Amino acid sequence: MSNRRSRQSTAGVSRISDDQIIELVSKLRQLLPEIRDRRSDKVSASKVLQETCNYIRSLHREVDDLSERLSQLLATIDADSAEAAIIRSLIM
Amino acid sequence: MRPPSSLRQEFLKKWMMGLQRYSTSKKNMSILERKKAIKLSADVAIASARNGTTCWSRALIANGYSKDGGDDKHLVEQILGPESERLIMKKVLTGGASVCNKRMRSKKILKRSCGIQRTRKFAPQVALASSIAKRLVRKRTQILRSLIPGGEFMNDVTLIEETLDYIISLRAQVDVMRSLASASELASEP
Repeated sequence: MSNRRSRQSTAGVSRISDDQIIELVSKLRQLLPEIRDRRSDKVSASKVLQETCNYIRSLHREVDDLSERLSQLLATIDADSAEAAIIRSLIM
Repeated sequence: MRPPSSLRQEFLKKWMMGLQRYSTSKKNMSILERKKAIKLSADVAIASARNGTTCWSRALIANGYSKDGGDDKHLVEQILGPESERLIMKKVLTGGASVCNKRMRSKKILKRSCGIQRTRKFAPQVALASSIAKRLVRKRTQILRSLIPGGEFMNDVTLIEETLDYIISLRAQVDVMRSLASASELASEP
């Protein structure tokens, strides 16, 4: 295993090791809202991938909707407006 | 997992910088133009928060740079700041020959590993189930690849790593945009 890892870093080519994929997929699971709440331990890789794709698509849609809303709200794109100051203080 | 507030702050700062660019240039924009401007600034801003360290961020910047309209190029440069030339060029260098070679090598490895598995003796039901599962994983990996900017240049492991980072960044972007939208709505109420 360590051989594989060191070879990967020097050769620059990724040997796709199963353990790496399992580790990454489990990290992905923690990020996804739906799967995280489910009690089951047995979530297949394809299910995780599907949820991931759905999640990313919904995030993209949300960015699009928010851009639409903001384009109507910000009559002129004025970054020095009071809103920006408010938001900055909210996020600090 | 909430995106760190440092990421959200960085995004907000860069996004505002980008939007400022538009207020000085075009006074009367159509709603559609404004929406595109907001979206483009947001995408370049969240990408620049990674400072060229991830493939998706480099791809987003390259996309923002190549959109038509000379204004957009200046926008990207403004948001990226003094590092802009290095960051824009980075995509060209890393996205080229070295990545193509990687793709060829990963394909060869995949073919080789598929060939090996084909000769293994499984009970028929098990073989069918596992091949269906593999096909599903492959198909969904392709879909994921199409969703992540620059995904077509990544092998499987990189793809998942980039996805993790991309999701966190998207969340930060959505959080900040949502806050600004709600605050604007509140502020515009009579």
